[in-house]
Amino acid sequence: MAAEAGGGILGALDELNVHTFIKIPHVWKFDFSITNAVVYVWFSALVVFVLFYVAARIARKKPGKLQTLAEVVLNFGLNLTGIYTSKGKKYYYIYATIFSFIFITNLIGLIPKPAGIWPYTPTANISVTFSMAIVIFALTQYFGIKNHGVRGYTSTFLMPKDVPTGIRRAMNVIFFPVEILGQLFRPLSLSVRLFANTIAGHIIILVMLGMLLQYRFPVGGVTGLFVIAMTAFEIFVAFIQAYIFSLLSVVYLEGAMADSH
Amino acid sequence: MAVELLPAGAAQVDAYANLAAGLAMGLGAVGPGIGLGILTAGACEAIARQPEAQGTIRTTFFIGMGLAEACALYAFVIAVILLFVVQK
Repeated sequence: MAAEAGGGILGALDELNVHTFIKIPHVWKFDFSITNAVVYVWFSALVVFVLFYVAARIARKKPGKLQTLAEVVLNFGLNLTGIYTSKGKKYYYIYATIFSFIFITNLIGLIPKPAGIWPYTPTANISVTFSMAIVIFALTQYFGIKNHGVRGYTSTFLMPKDVPTGIRRAMNVIFFPVEILGQLFRPLSLSVRLFANTIAGHIIILVMLGMLLQYRFPVGGVTGLFVIAMTAFEIFVAFIQAYIFSLLSVVYLEGAMADSH
Repeated sequence: MAVELLPAGAAQVDAYANLAAGLAMGLGAVGPGIGLGILTAGACEAIARQPEAQGTIRTTFFIGMGLAEACALYAFVIAVILLFVVQK
């Protein structure tokens, strides 16, 4: 995927580095420079947008292939909703967008590209996945407060009212921090799951490619077959991780909207 | 028994970091491996009992696999941090 920088195996891992194109000075510790990670995020978002826009433009009564594909993805998003409550059915487009963005980003990252265009997979960067998880987390809190009010939403973190008052106050002391920690752990687990799955597959493929280019034959023959099998497995993992990310987003968002505890 | 802390730039930190990375990933893959085996056994038995529910069972299996895999990958992230950030 990346030409070696003359360094053998470690040179092939150069694809996991971020190269800055336009340097923008820091705004209070945040670095807004344009790097190849930023360009590839824009490119994936553009591909997703163009795919769905063209499918909507050429919509007709007897759908062609592109329109069928877009409708399949939107139906997939619609079938994910309605797990806990029917109030969440109108946000199905969020899950369809998240799924297609993650899937298309990982697919673009798996295509072998020359080193001249600085190839990079954005989801192999903890900043990108953490930003997506933070957006889901903020949306969860927003939906919870909008549907129940602040008092009602905090009361979902406490024990139910059926338990008698003395026992309830004593157990709330333990229950409330545990629930808060459980909520705070969710964006962390979402982001680390996607990031670690993507980067583990990429490291394996790149190390094998580096070995193939360094020790030509006969070690290269076997590692070539392994790289082919590993890339096929990575496509499967990309689909599964996109599905799990969107499914867990549905569970979290609808869990915040649900009426009863 | 007196326990001394190593200064930050000591040479033994690299050795201990390598050892800790190996232990982290090695011991951290035991639990998810067993969990995935139990999950697949449950999925196989459910499909064998009721083949017409294949679609739902397959979907649930993939969801469980993704969540169990994540636990192994937390250990992987710790191992990578120990190898590339703690060592200079």
